[in-house]
Amino acid sequence: MTAGAPAVEGRPPAPARAGVREGPSRLATTLLVLPAGLWYLFLLILPIGIVMLFSLGNRGETGGYAGGFTFANYEGAFRNPSPFVTSLYLSIAGTVACLLVGLPLAYFIATRAGKRKTLFIILLVVPFWTSFLIRTYSWLILLGRDGLAGWFVDVTGNESFRILGTDAAVLLGLVYGYLPLMVFPLYVTLERMDRTLLDASKDLGAGRWATFRQITLPIALPGLITGSILVFIPMMGEYVIPQILGYGQTFTIGNALVLRFLEFRDWPAGSAQAVGLIFVMFVTISFYLWFTNRGRQVREQSVL
Amino acid sequence: MADQRPDVLRAIAETRVSRRGFLAASGFTAMSAYLAACSVGGGSAPALFMFNWADYVAEENIAKFKEQFNISDENFTYDTYPSNEELFAKLQGGATGQYDVCCPTAEWVPDMVKEGFLEKIDWTKIPNEKYINPKFQGLWWDPNDEYLLPKDWGTTGISMRTNVVTEDVKTWKEFFEIAPKYSGRIVVVDSPGDVFTAPLKALGYSLNSVDPGELEQARELLMGLAPHVLALNSDTYEEPMKTEEAVLGLTWTGGIDEMLGDPAYADTTKYVIPEDGTLYWMDVWTILKGAPHLEMAHNFLNFIQDPEVQAVETETNYYATANEEAKKHIDPEILNDPIVFVPDEIVDSGLLEPAQAVSLDENRQRIWEEFKSSIGG
Repeated sequence: MTAGAPAVEGRPPAPARAGVREGPSRLATTLLVLPAGLWYLFLLILPIGIVMLFSLGNRGETGGYAGGFTFANYEGAFRNPSPFVTSLYLSIAGTVACLLVGLPLAYFIATRAGKRKTLFIILLVVPFWTSFLIRTYSWLILLGRDGLAGWFVDVTGNESFRILGTDAAVLLGLVYGYLPLMVFPLYVTLERMDRTLLDASKDLGAGRWATFRQITLPIALPGLITGSILVFIPMMGEYVIPQILGYGQTFTIGNALVLRFLEFRDWPAGSAQAVGLIFVMFVTISFYLWFTNRGRQVREQSVL
Repeated sequence: MADQRPDVLRAIAETRVSRRGFLAASGFTAMSAYLAACSVGGGSAPALFMFNWADYVAEENIAKFKEQFNISDENFTYDTYPSNEELFAKLQGGATGQYDVCCPTAEWVPDMVKEGFLEKIDWTKIPNEKYINPKFQGLWWDPNDEYLLPKDWGTTGISMRTNVVTEDVKTWKEFFEIAPKYSGRIVVVDSPGDVFTAPLKALGYSLNSVDPGELEQARELLMGLAPHVLALNSDTYEEPMKTEEAVLGLTWTGGIDEMLGDPAYADTTKYVIPEDGTLYWMDVWTILKGAPHLEMAHNFLNFIQDPEVQAVETETNYYATANEEAKKHIDPEILNDPIVFVPDEIVDSGLLEPAQAVSLDENRQRIWEEFKSSIGG
């Protein structure tokens, strides 16, 4: 989440920490940062450490973790790479789809919605008031034989047509579930956009596309990056949506993890696979940040 | 039973549907019991903390029990787990000492004993134990009858919509043979022990086999089946069967019984106990180590095996009871339903094989993952 923050700055600002204050104010700073620090320590660093430790151990006789030192779990974790590939492909497709739906929506709410802005924002949040599971199950009705798929079958006469149990259904569920996480960061950046820039661009003879590409998009970029990462990360670990809307036909890395931890009770093997997932996400996100930032700098230079 | 077209949402909340299901929804249950335990304290007020499958005890009986033993609402907890795996994982994660009774499937009991999760039952406090059919006692999972009291049991079998599936399927072997014909219209429960039953029994082996050669043969059958499977579904396998999206199934009985009770599907729905043999499962009452209310836990076990109370259980859950005396009080229609109460000649024929604790076998796990990731081709 905060991983998006560095990208917000075009280049590192000159360090301006002239007056690090002393005394009570420093104490206050420490106290205020402490909860977040403890949070990171106990809920991020420590668990990752435990997962890494477990990934090198052996399975207990009745399951769980039993200590030891072996790399066999990693060998097993990557023996079948297909869940990684499936998750990666679904998450990337899902992120792009969220972007395609979310950017116009955020742009509309930020610039065109006028007085109804608040209403649209509330409408975006309202679905979150219902349990995620219930909302996902609702798609079963909408897309099933009594819903959209049934209608298609009636119209086309193609008995074997179905939506549920396909990657498309999973993708739809992912986009539906995570869209707000994309829209909000985009909305925030677009809302702050100085609209006179658009007028200036127009005055200077730029067409709509050029204005979008050279003004709107660079301004929206921090939100776009944050939003993409916010939706990408949970999509990579998602296992409920593939299970329900994919009928279990889409076997993601999340499903593989559930299988190892809960069904096989093999914590070390599951941990090794979890480390693999962290690694895949780290590589993907690093590449993404590098790629988007690189693009930014080139463009800024060209502006200069 | 005879409701008109229950929808999916209702099905989630439905009793028997979630019984052997996998819903990843109960994450906070252990926590809530813990908090309840804190607020109530080790106190003197009568209380019972139960950890169980969703809606697995008749409301009517719970109310009766609370009244009989003077337990107030806040002193009675009913937390749920969606699978044995999760129950075990939660106990491994430290949920012992928070609950009094829980209800695992019998083949999990030996491992739970090994882990020290279970308390020995004091039978002197459970006179109603005498009603339990001896057939269901002293079995491999608890040879000395120390840790478990049978709750109910059922089978895994072949279900089908006979308006589409015209073949008279009687065996697992035939199930595999006709599967390609109904490609993309087959639903299978998401439970390895049950799924391995089909190929191993079709081949004439024990459903608990861990022999690598036998499992390899089973693997070939399973991988042949995988591309034809529409869905792996333990919670609501009857839903695609209702819409005929699926017409052939490797399922349990709960959801199918619901269809058989519904005039819309009753005539075209069939459940078969395969003649080449199948698995029977039994859920059992156990008392957890460190139970905060040990006495009340025994009281509950005795209460629930009262014949009249137990009859209400069967009429609510539609699973066969092991309590012989209770049968006298059960609605004859349910008692004579061969899906709920498997006929004695089948029970005694050796056709039914109890599941063993083989889920940690490496070959089984490898094959199961391969099968799971190949569904739908």
